[in-house]
Amino acid sequence: MNSIRVENLTYKYPNTDTFALDGISFTVKKGEFVGIAGMNTAGKTTLCFALSGLVPHFFKGAYGGDVFIGDMDVLTHEISDITAKVGLVFENPFSQMTGAKFTVYDEIAFGLENLGIPRDEMHRRIKESMQFLDIEALGDKNPFSLSGGQMQRVAIASVIAMKPDILILDEPTSQLDPRGSEEVFRVVENLSKEGMTIIMVEQKMEKLAAYSDRILLMHEGKLIDSGPPADIFSRADLLNFGVVPPVYTTVAKALHLKNELTGLYPISLEEMPASGITNGDIRTISESLPLTKTAGPEIKVKDLQFSYNKDTPILRGISVTLSGEPTAIIGQNGAGKTTFVKLLKALLKPSAGELIINGTNTKDTTAAKLAGTIGLIFQNPNDQIFKNNVLDEVMFGPLNVGQTPEVARLNAEKMLERVGLLGKAGENPYDLSLAERKMIAVASILAMDTDIVIFDEPTMGQDARGKAILKDIIHGLHAQGKLVLCILHDMDFVAETFGRTIIISNGQLLFDGPTRIAFSEADILHTARLEQPHITQLARKMGYDGILLKESELIQE
Amino acid sequence: MKKNSMWSLNFTTAALVLIPAAIGINYLGKLFAGLLKLPLWLDSIGTVLASMLAGPIIGAIAGIVNNIIYGFTADPISFVYAITSAVIGLVVGIMAYKGWIVNVGKALVLGLVVGLIAATVSTPLNIMFWGGQTGNVWGDALFATMMAQDMPLWFASFADSIVVDVPDKMATVLISFLLFKGLPKNLTHMYDNRSKIERL
Amino acid sequence: MKNMTLYVDKDSFIHNIDPLTKLLFVFLSIALTYILPTHLFVICVLAFTLLLLLAGKVFKYILPVIGVSLLLIISIIIVQGFFHPDRATLLFEIGPLPIYKEGFAFALLLTLRIINMVCAFGVLILTTKPDDLVESLINKGMSPKIGYVFLSVLQIIPQMIAMTSKITDAQRARGMETEGNLLTRIKSFIPLLGPVVLNSLNDTRERSIALEIRGFNAKGTKTFLNESFHFKYGLILKIILIITLIAAIVWRVVL
Repeated sequence: MNSIRVENLTYKYPNTDTFALDGISFTVKKGEFVGIAGMNTAGKTTLCFALSGLVPHFFKGAYGGDVFIGDMDVLTHEISDITAKVGLVFENPFSQMTGAKFTVYDEIAFGLENLGIPRDEMHRRIKESMQFLDIEALGDKNPFSLSGGQMQRVAIASVIAMKPDILILDEPTSQLDPRGSEEVFRVVENLSKEGMTIIMVEQKMEKLAAYSDRILLMHEGKLIDSGPPADIFSRADLLNFGVVPPVYTTVAKALHLKNELTGLYPISLEEMPASGITNGDIRTISESLPLTKTAGPEIKVKDLQFSYNKDTPILRGISVTLSGEPTAIIGQNGAGKTTFVKLLKALLKPSAGELIINGTNTKDTTAAKLAGTIGLIFQNPNDQIFKNNVLDEVMFGPLNVGQTPEVARLNAEKMLERVGLLGKAGENPYDLSLAERKMIAVASILAMDTDIVIFDEPTMGQDARGKAILKDIIHGLHAQGKLVLCILHDMDFVAETFGRTIIISNGQLLFDGPTRIAFSEADILHTARLEQPHITQLARKMGYDGILLKESELIQE
Repeated sequence: MKKNSMWSLNFTTAALVLIPAAIGINYLGKLFAGLLKLPLWLDSIGTVLASMLAGPIIGAIAGIVNNIIYGFTADPISFVYAITSAVIGLVVGIMAYKGWIVNVGKALVLGLVVGLIAATVSTPLNIMFWGGQTGNVWGDALFATMMAQDMPLWFASFADSIVVDVPDKMATVLISFLLFKGLPKNLTHMYDNRSKIERL
Repeated sequence: MKNMTLYVDKDSFIHNIDPLTKLLFVFLSIALTYILPTHLFVICVLAFTLLLLLAGKVFKYILPVIGVSLLLIISIIIVQGFFHPDRATLLFEIGPLPIYKEGFAFALLLTLRIINMVCAFGVLILTTKPDDLVESLINKGMSPKIGYVFLSVLQIIPQMIAMTSKITDAQRARGMETEGNLLTRIKSFIPLLGPVVLNSLNDTRERSIALEIRGFNAKGTKTFLNESFHFKYGLILKIILIITLIAAIVWRVVL
């Protein structure tokens, strides 16, 4: 029997002209794990809403076709009837906490109370789901005091406790750091082993490939293809839909490792042969990009120390000179990376030590005065956006640092073009997606035309196309003679984009040097709790004893 | 079928969740005004926005809950003014519905009306609970001067409230109006319980 | 995480009284000071309220709460003392300024009432968990949705406050000045509050989705995880409180 049956589903949000979903039909069997892939505007989230009844009941709008959950018609049932059968977990862990409960235990009870579950049964179910998600120790904690990964597991537990037949996960890890993501994926793996029907939207294709029985490929509201992961990821036109296959498939394609019987490429590490890459297959690309300017911007850091209170130092004496090529700053959460860049920007004052930027000590200046020299792009674009159209938002910074309105406008438009949003200059930033708002924040800093540009986690929540744009921007800034620093969790992006890498752990500088060497220092990576990029691990498994950083280093005949 | 008016008690979930957000905005408005050392309170921007977005009833509830919560967490005196906050929510909600938030000029008139009504509602409360004063230095100075000249108590108390409320409410409504105008459509329609599903 | 409520977790008799009885007491205590406006009587009511705070082991926590109202109290004493309409009996002089007995007596009465009002609320606020109070009210017929609104405010405001420093940093990083003349400061108000408004309204969408998913609008009867607050003398206390109120009204009317 089918768990889900979707027939010619077509949907348009209120006050919009384009169809978010356009003639979609598919079925899902009980116990199946279905992955959904596609770029940010593909309609994946809208489909998740449609399967849980939020489309159309919550969002209203224009609705065509039918969705059946078991034999229940979504259109003629209330959301609460539907969500008793379909659980939904989405990106942002914070907004999934109800806010009305003061402990994790009570938070999980919220849905059960609404459904009118008897008290004894409630206690039983809460304990069961907490155990399953490995959050028993958090029962008495306030939900808002948890880390993102813990919060996301509470969100899943809250939904699981309602005993749905189907669980929908809409990019459950896109706003989590690597450790939080791993916590969540471990749970997803267990759930799928339990035989639950699961639909998961995800940008990490390695994970989709590993769990899915079937993948739905979506683009511009349409269902392009549906089939086993190996079929979907072997498609030659995948990049047209903004989907980059798992790194294993990419490498296999480069090395022509096709399965002769099926004509498909491997999609997981297990399927890859234990040999096949030799030193002769690799042509390492020199990390150091040529400098166009001789005297570029420079930051000198001398024995930098910082703490909010004396007992817990955040930075314990960092000395480094930053100039020249784009530099990645990596390290676990809480290592002190964000504190470090805030000090560079004079948003904080050092407890001891010195920071000299282009010859000026940050002690003698303020954040607002430094705004013309250093641009800092914060992680969450929502913390800064306040104008009602994209162009004005991007012009805010340039006008503050004294550009004339004409110049500011010109710069703003140029930068919007660079991030691919010039066509949306007149729109309200909050009508765009979070990934697009992130790009607006990037443009708004770039338009200030500062000598130094610092990014804090720019790739989080971006799809493959967004990451490619960011890589171009970073290299472009370097070619203009600007200094680029970038805090990152995404090791694949570090390997792909940066020649120089700094590793910070526990407030100290553990490593500073070429990225290729950084990823060869097993001990340092272990101490800083970092992993090698996927491609590096893969090449190692396949017999290469060096450090492979990018796919383009594989020689393709 | 019954027409859904602005007085409908059939709230969307979004409209209910708007109330805590409005109270948070009230709180932060006050916080930022303090941080920037502005000579106004600006502590009802959220209530005014909630009324503009979701109508008089939600606005009034936001006002009442705001003062109860503030009473519970900081200053019990604020319980007394829950009525004033509710009336602010009602007035803004009704006048917004009748078209008084289309341009800056009308918004300023709305601010003036809100300020006068707030003062009118507060005056009997001030007289009943604290002999006619507001606790605001400038307002109470005026009150004292008028009392010294043996003007009627209600008149002095009303003048005291006017000095306190009118400039603050005009600024509050103006700022709320500017913020409201900048909101994207996908947010504003969410609080409206009148939209329907269109079947294709 | 910083807690929004003033609740003090202690073990006392007052803590064990059910929230609704305490709520009734608050109204009674305030009403009495207006029904019978003599200094002696108001002092007695205040003394009783203070006694309850002592019994609840929360006396010292009320002092900062009274402190918040200090400006109002001082203002009342000064203004009423100097300018009360019945300026007849000179009490004493501060330099050239005369303080009159009538005004001073009135100011004293007002001050006692204000302090009693704050302390009476203190009995409720300092010894009652907000979720217990809200659940009691829901049991008595208040809409669970309004209950949700009250409780979520307490959780959401600290989240919003945590956002303020990030916003200030982000806008300063874009060259916005928060110091300077009044015009500069006024100009930075919207860049600071704007993101708060947009962010929190955007969150309302996601949070309402989260609530819908969790059956917030389910039609059937709700159940409660925690057993309702049980206090066996609640009814008796409520009856005593109501009798006291009636007695006070009768006293006022008859005498």
